[in-house]
Amino acid sequence: MAEVHIIGQLVGASEFPEHSLFCKWGIHAGGAWKLIAGLKEGQTQVDNPENEEFAYWSHPIDVHYAAKGLQGWPRIHVQVWRQDSLGRSELYGYGFVHVPTSPGTHKIECVTWRPIGTMQEELTQFFVGGCPQLKNADLIYSGADRYKLRTTAMGKVHLKLNLIFRNFDKYGVEC
Amino acid sequence: MTGVNPNPAVFLVMANGQIKTAEFPDCDELYCRFMFVHGQDWVVTSGLEEGISQFTHKSHDERQLFVWNFPLNVTYKSTNPYGWPQLVISCYGPDAFGREIVRGYGSVHIPITPGKHELDIPMYVPVSTSRFQKFTSWFMGRRPEFVDPKVVSQGEGRDVTRVRSQGHVKVCLNIVTRDMKKLGYDVTPSDVTSVPVGVNAGI
Repeated sequence: MAEVHIIGQLVGASEFPEHSLFCKWGIHAGGAWKLIAGLKEGQTQVDNPENEEFAYWSHPIDVHYAAKGLQGWPRIHVQVWRQDSLGRSELYGYGFVHVPTSPGTHKIECVTWRPIGTMQEELTQFFVGGCPQLKNADLIYSGADRYKLRTTAMGKVHLKLNLIFRNFDKYGVEC
Repeated sequence: MTGVNPNPAVFLVMANGQIKTAEFPDCDELYCRFMFVHGQDWVVTSGLEEGISQFTHKSHDERQLFVWNFPLNVTYKSTNPYGWPQLVISCYGPDAFGREIVRGYGSVHIPITPGKHELDIPMYVPVSTSRFQKFTSWFMGRRPEFVDPKVVSQGEGRDVTRVRSQGHVKVCLNIVTRDMKKLGYDVTPSDVTSVPVGVNAGI
């Protein structure tokens, strides 16, 4: 079986309206992919940067997959949350990226979005906090049923991924 | 160097380089500790896994730079890229009362591709979670720090930490690998044009 190592970091986030951000992340792969070692989901620390517009998490990622087929190539999905001064968490953005299909080092920017509610909900959010969330988190990385959503732009999540592939050329796969 | 092994069981990764400089706000003197943290399949064959740098002062010009120029040199052997080594750096310096406090933790995976790599490591310090702890740490002058700096290289249990990022450390690493290709590991895109036609078995 061909093997893929995803080694890298969830570096941080930029261009979000507020600080004190953290991120819940996960890697989703199809049925032909088997996780051999490593954590495929996690949650970063909360960063409140000193004087910069960039929140750093430096969260390590090190996973080892074995693949029987190319279908369901792994994708990384992220949820950015903000923790306010009272310790409450509110959703700041959803996003996903495919793991690149060539070995080597990749710097990746993942754009994020969040759902927007009705006028009344937006008004409540402005004063009280909180944000409409997806009931079904699969929607972050799937295209089905997205048309019902109204969303708005949020910031970017930065990833640095080192990819090591094994035995792909043995099966004639060019990447 | 030993002779060519046609059927290697392990691959080697050699990292040479230096901790070059650092930029930190609000402090004048700094030293740093480095350690390489790796998974269980990895063994150090030569070089130093841990070390402490000299005390350096910030340059008194517009660069405001800390220069360490501290050498790093380590060689690993492994059978599996899982647990790829990470460089963990922690910086310490005296506060206004001369007590040594931590100024930042940072971590980065060593590069996987051979060649010269310039790495910029963001640094951060943990902060207290509750207001009461914030007050007592301010009053007693004891800042929160990690008991073991290795935790910054681990993915588990980070959700309970709150940090404040400040400063950067610049590291240069030159990587040489051996026998990775022979064990079937690709770390650079393959040259598609050079694949001979008709030899592929199909997936």
